Amino acid sequence: MSRVFTIALNTFKETIRDRILGVIVLFALAMIVGSVWLGAISLGQAGRMMQDFGLVAVTLFGLVVAVFVGASLVRKEIDKRTVFVLFSKPLGRSEFIVGKFLGLCATLFVVTMGMGVFLFLAVWYVGKSPAPDLLLACLLIYVQLVVVVAVTVLFSTVTSPTLASVLGVCVFIAGQLSSNVLSLTRLGHSPLVKAASWVVFVAVPNLSAVDIKAAVVGEQVSRPAALGLWVGYLAAYCVVVLLLASFVFKRKEF
Amino acid sequence: MRRPLALAALLVVCAAAVLVYQSTRPQASGADARIFVPSPRFYLDLSPSFRTSIADAYWLQTIQYYGEHLRSDGRFDSLWPMLDLVTTLSPHFKQAYFTGAFALIDAARPDLSYGLLRRGFEANPADWHFPAYLGFFAYRFANNKDKDRIAARWYAKAAALPGRPAYIPRLAAALLTRSGARDKAIAMWSGVYAEGDKYSREKAVKALSRLLATDPQQRAKELASVQTMMSPEVFFQLLEDLGVGSV
Amino acid sequence: MSVLEWEVPMVATELPQALTIRDLRKVVTTGFWARRVEILRGVDLTVAEGEVFGLLGPNGAGKTTTLKIVLGLMRPTSGTVGLTLPREQIGYLPENPYFYDYLTGEEFLRFSGRLFELPAEVREARVRDLLNEVGLQEAAGVHLRKYSKGMLQRIGIAQALVNDPSLVLLDEPMTGLDPIGRVEVKSIIEGLRRRGKTVLFNSHILADVAELCTRIAIMKAGVVMWEGPVETALAQSGDLERFFVQQVTA
Repeated sequence: MSRVFTIALNTFKETIRDRILGVIVLFALAMIVGSVWLGAISLGQAGRMMQDFGLVAVTLFGLVVAVFVGASLVRKEIDKRTVFVLFSKPLGRSEFIVGKFLGLCATLFVVTMGMGVFLFLAVWYVGKSPAPDLLLACLLIYVQLVVVVAVTVLFSTVTSPTLASVLGVCVFIAGQLSSNVLSLTRLGHSPLVKAASWVVFVAVPNLSAVDIKAAVVGEQVSRPAALGLWVGYLAAYCVVVLLLASFVFKRKEF
Repeated sequence: MRRPLALAALLVVCAAAVLVYQSTRPQASGADARIFVPSPRFYLDLSPSFRTSIADAYWLQTIQYYGEHLRSDGRFDSLWPMLDLVTTLSPHFKQAYFTGAFALIDAARPDLSYGLLRRGFEANPADWHFPAYLGFFAYRFANNKDKDRIAARWYAKAAALPGRPAYIPRLAAALLTRSGARDKAIAMWSGVYAEGDKYSREKAVKALSRLLATDPQQRAKELASVQTMMSPEVFFQLLEDLGVGSV
Repeated sequence: MSVLEWEVPMVATELPQALTIRDLRKVVTTGFWARRVEILRGVDLTVAEGEVFGLLGPNGAGKTTTLKIVLGLMRPTSGTVGLTLPREQIGYLPENPYFYDYLTGEEFLRFSGRLFELPAEVREARVRDLLNEVGLQEAAGVHLRKYSKGMLQRIGIAQALVNDPSLVLLDEPMTGLDPIGRVEVKSIIEGLRRRGKTVLFNSHILADVAELCTRIAIMKAGVVMWEGPVETALAQSGDLERFFVQQVTA
């Protein structure tokens, strides 16, 4: 476990030094400008708009970090040949994969919750009252992005960083549209379409299940017990994906 | 020397072209009253999170569209589709109904205003604002001889909802009086008296004095039906205020 | 001290074996049409404990591939690699090393020590001693991105020794070093030999090989052309460079 932690800490240092915190600063500036602008054009609905678009921005900025950094995590080590130094030591391939994953998750937490805190303060300023649900929404966005990181790391073990990033984004979008895929399993006419839809529905992580943005802006009632189960499901999904990534990575030669 | 100068000149010319074109675009294009608004059914299968973001984006567009055309040609061809989209995707976005209803009046479509508010009330049945607005719109804009009665019915519904201000039952009672629904008006004014402050009670006594029979005995008989609406102390006080305390 | 003054047995198999390679083959597929290329075509090697072994050969002979298979970075297509030591007792310096340029020299050695799960006091003491041994104590707090090629080579050797390994594999350890750097590295290798470590290194600098090694193997096109004591090679040709050229052009 300490080797996993060593790799995770090293990855955290590497990614956090990569000017990634600039994303938070950029986001903070966007929130400030956005609050002034939305206040002028939303006819008194600046609070709701800020919450909605702010959470969208947290998701998008976080997604950019997750896929672009996640896709190059493993490839960078191979291209720069630091893998030779690492695997000549008693470091297992799966320890490496898990360590890289955890390191990026730590960085992503700092970035996502950093943005979340700025959003919370901006909404408090605009709406004149705090909205603690916003922080929970950001935490759940982080959970979704952790799954995207895991999937992107898996893709990066088999393909180029560019393609891995694109596939990571595709999985995120598909995860948000999970209910549509489920509809296809019920509404499709052909048994093949239904079967294929079912496979896609099961294979793609249901990220929309832990998205509470609609509840934060008052369109839905959040159900904490169901949320807990879905987070557990996503954690298990990550474990499966990382095991697959480790299996693929074990077969790799350098 | 010539090459840097040429590049600098190219930069200046292109930057100028970009700035000039962009800054004159609003005058050049003119805002179109008819714009493409997709049907909400395309988005209904999306997750709630997507739906609210699309609704909010279209809400901002709706405000810009309304403001632009209010100041220019007064045409609001696409206003209803936009409001329909916003409220279908985000049925609890109450402000969209209220603002939209007034905007549709400017678009000379009071029928759509009324329909929008009714839809909002169906989606938000516990919010008193909706029936109150419906009452106002029925009274103000309906072209109907029963508009007082319809407005009164809405205000009565609003009066029954939690959080409504004190003037709502008074409005309901006043409209019921105007519409000639005497018994209902008596009941409503009695309700105003039962829970109102000093001002409301004064209003209620004045209105009931006009509605009820002048004969004290007859008056007392007519008030018997409202006895169960209030505590015995309040009822006897009402009788006193209406001059039938001794009967 | 020259090689001839060491008490080296003529036959390596008399000594305990640190590494035994038998009939090692490696085939890779390359290109769009998955063309098969045989990189190693039956390599046989024996490295005895405590000796300094030089693995020579022209570019593309398969030296680095052999080392990678020994370390588990690649899998052999067939053949055996007999390694008596666990990974915890092996140290490796790759060719043209690149390390994490956002770490300082000290942080990087500490990171390497953590991968061996060394206890903190042992790790810190070893980091200090190694930085002194490779002459980087002044640059310990400098980020690796600011290190010269020679400094990177030296920190690379330091990380290869952080676990006090019994077997040290060095791929082109003298590359990019100036003469002073080369003297320092040679002295480190001699120090390892004196401490009873087994060293296997690749190098193109035959003068250094002649000076440091007890035995050598010369590879060409994926096979070992010749394996034996350095003095035998020198006796045959008088000069290791001439001997090398004779073997690879044969």
